[in-house]
Amino acid sequence: METIYQLIAGWFAGKPEWLPLAIAIAVPILFIVGVYPAIFAYTTLVERKALGRVQNRYGPNRVGRWGILQPLADGLKLLTKEDIVPRDADKFTHFLAPVIAVIPSVLLFAIVPIAPGLVPVNLNIGILFAFAISTASVLALFMGGWASRNKFSLLGAMRAVAQVVSYEVPMVLAAVAVVMAAGSLSTLDIVKAQTRGGLEIAGWFVFQPWGFVGFVLFAIGAMAESARTPFDIPEAESEIIAGYHTEYSGFKFALFQLGEYLAAIAMAGITVTMFLGGYLGPGIHIPYIGGFIAAFWFFLKLGCMILLNIWIRGTWPRVRVDQLMGFAWKVLLPMSILNIAVVGLWHFMGNKVLAWGVTAAILGLAFVILAKISAAGNIEKRTYRYAN
Amino acid sequence: MGFLGKGLFQGMAVTARNFVGTYFDRGTREKLVTYQYPEEKPPLPENSRSFPFLVYDGTPDAMRCVACKICETECPPQCIYIVMDRDEKGKPQQRPKVFDIDISVCMQCQICVEVCPFEAIKMDNDYEKSQYGRFDDLIEHLPDLLKSNEYYNEIKPTEAKAVDAKLKAEAEKKAKKGTSKPAAAAPAKPAAPAPAPKPATAPAGKITIPEDAPFTAEQRAWLAGFLSAGGVATSGTGVSPVAVAETTGETPVPLPEATPAAEAPAGGWPWHDPGLGMSQRMDLVKAAPLADKLMAAMAQTDCHACGYDCRGYADAIAAGSETDLSLCLPGEAETAKKLEELMKEAGKL
Amino acid sequence: MDYAFWTISGITVLGALLAVTLRNLVHCVLSLILFFLGIAAHYFLLRADFIGAVQILIYIGAVAVLILFAIMLTRNVTGEAGPQEVVGVKWWIGSLCAALTAGLISFAVRADSVAETLSPGPKATVAVADIGKGFVGNWIVPFEAMAVLLTAALIGAVVIALEEVRNRR
Ligand code: SF4
Ligand code: SF4
Repeated sequence: METIYQLIAGWFAGKPEWLPLAIAIAVPILFIVGVYPAIFAYTTLVERKALGRVQNRYGPNRVGRWGILQPLADGLKLLTKEDIVPRDADKFTHFLAPVIAVIPSVLLFAIVPIAPGLVPVNLNIGILFAFAISTASVLALFMGGWASRNKFSLLGAMRAVAQVVSYEVPMVLAAVAVVMAAGSLSTLDIVKAQTRGGLEIAGWFVFQPWGFVGFVLFAIGAMAESARTPFDIPEAESEIIAGYHTEYSGFKFALFQLGEYLAAIAMAGITVTMFLGGYLGPGIHIPYIGGFIAAFWFFLKLGCMILLNIWIRGTWPRVRVDQLMGFAWKVLLPMSILNIAVVGLWHFMGNKVLAWGVTAAILGLAFVILAKISAAGNIEKRTYRYAN
Repeated sequence: MGFLGKGLFQGMAVTARNFVGTYFDRGTREKLVTYQYPEEKPPLPENSRSFPFLVYDGTPDAMRCVACKICETECPPQCIYIVMDRDEKGKPQQRPKVFDIDISVCMQCQICVEVCPFEAIKMDNDYEKSQYGRFDDLIEHLPDLLKSNEYYNEIKPTEAKAVDAKLKAEAEKKAKKGTSKPAAAAPAKPAAPAPAPKPATAPAGKITIPEDAPFTAEQRAWLAGFLSAGGVATSGTGVSPVAVAETTGETPVPLPEATPAAEAPAGGWPWHDPGLGMSQRMDLVKAAPLADKLMAAMAQTDCHACGYDCRGYADAIAAGSETDLSLCLPGEAETAKKLEELMKEAGKL
Repeated sequence: MDYAFWTISGITVLGALLAVTLRNLVHCVLSLILFFLGIAAHYFLLRADFIGAVQILIYIGAVAVLILFAIMLTRNVTGEAGPQEVVGVKWWIGSLCAALTAGLISFAVRADSVAETLSPGPKATVAVADIGKGFVGNWIVPFEAMAVLLTAALIGAVVIALEEVRNRR
């Protein structure tokens, strides 16, 4: 908060002391609750349109030109729908779950920097805070699923809990590599560590071998954490109706959706911050408008990440539960642990060109071996117990 | 070169191609297959069908339907309701006054089309039938059902052409043959059981159209012209309609002038009224000859389902040239039973 | 600061009390989570951001979720059936243990030496780097002992699981 506070304190010099503080607190909050839900609303529209195009059809195009008012219509519809609570539901927990689903997702944005010095709260434990908060979201899923007194909800909740707990491990370990390279947990420092030799692009962690692996690991983990396709088994429609939010209707359902999408967007933002150089890009040091250019770069990268998510959702099939667990523990976890060791190697090798080659070779070899192992496990002949 | 996850990227290339392709589709519907329904409608294949409609030639008054009620009888879910039209004197007109189809019940089976001997009912392909009411709004009445032959030609050109050609051929044959009055009116040797060709019978002299014959003014005018043109003669070859049907495989031409009203005595046939109940008709016909009794037992819609008109069928049975007593479709089991009863009474069975 | 402290303390104590008095096991765990959250808030209040975040990450994100999992696999979650006895011999033993622990901790906190090393000034943030250096410097032995203990636990869990798989075959 310091940086915004300093800026505002400069503008309001001589005014009562509490005024800049209050503004410094109010502005980021208003920004978070104003801008990101708007992004959420239009993400749903873009997602529906893009998925439509992927599936050779138009997306929503009836409400307003190009369906531009569709999110508004959706919101109105959900607001006016009847709110149904199952008779046997645990009423209080049932009510609390959607509320809790949104809180962690909103809190996540507190540590995402959008321009130099412009981060809602500059925590020195930034990344750790993000992980701590994001695990709390699993509680909402569990509460919603358990309180509904519906077997599909409960199954969805169990799946959600198992999945989130499993994928958090490789995700956090992938982030540890970044923290080691940047030497700080603060998101602002991590972004700053990605400039190299005055160039705003070359230093992005995604362009280092370990950074690329970390990026892939983290992106997969983020996708699984926010339960998006191909990891949407907690709410797999074709298997368990809607999983933990089967028994939710009206605005409570909307809150679940809001929480889920906000978490996905926030995770995309954190991915951008950690691996894609955050707000870094050409022209961010131009006086006066540099900050806007930086914000532009950040939101551009954020948009690209969201689009990548949508593209993946439109393409990949849902994984099976056993594949999900096997993938997390047998492929992602060894890779992420190896990645940490490789970052250490990178740190202590002076010649960065040589280090690039060596680390790339190590990681490439590890990937090939892991692929061989997991493929060997996968193609074992299928036996049928009753059919033969 | 294969590597773990190769298929995933190939899949993403496919979806990307589809995504981009939709923006360059330009109406070929190769990538963007959607028809935006209310604005764009996909062309319907000729053989698509929705609900039945009634065909008319020229003006809606000249509908082909003669209210024979065969379709009403045959419709599996019983969704057709027909009331025959009558003039002021209560004489049946050969046209429906009420013709309702409940499209919430109709299962679009096309059976009504198959059984109609007059090519009067055909399957439509208009599927936009939603209504605001659940009950009365879903019943189609006569005005909704009537559609022109041109419309029929438009939606199903091949089928309609075939129907038109058939009707035309029949009309021509009819014109050649003169009247289609059944030649079996005067019984031949009663002992002859086989439906062998019978000698021609003399026409009943000059034929006038009785006042109460069930014709519309238009039909009457046409018929008068037709008769005065000298067409009323015995059928050229002296072959009975049964034989015609047997040799050509066709039902006798079902046109309005086929009504045997010409043979009715001056007082008409009081029982020739499908609106009456069976017992009433039997009362009226008590003193009449067997053929009349048989006729009165029929549904008397002159639908030609049996291969005759009602008069012809009754005469054929009485003469013994027709042994199947269950041919009267509109009369259903009641008629068949009554016919058998009457024949037994007369000692002919 | 005082208001914050008392509010958070109130919530924490309420969570702890509810956790041991509610009949429904899932409600108990949810109250326990409230309690964990209160503890985390206390850490934040003490400017121990790192410990606070780890508290949430480990206790809420992992421990509480594990307990929930375990509870979902048990029967009689609602606590409506079964023995209703709360105050019994076990209760008394438990209370005694709790009292002893509380006394020990308060004694330790009041003792000057511990208080000096443990309590940072209200404004001094505990840097993450310092904690890290502490782990691999001053406190390396307990840290490694803890690591060995946890590894042993992990291996033990795997062994038990394998045993079960073998038995089923
Ligand atoms: S079968 Fe044909 S002629 Fe007879 S009532 Fe039905 S539509 Fe009319
Ligand atoms: S299509 Fe079938 S169900 Fe419909 S009116 Fe004709 S016979 Fe009846």
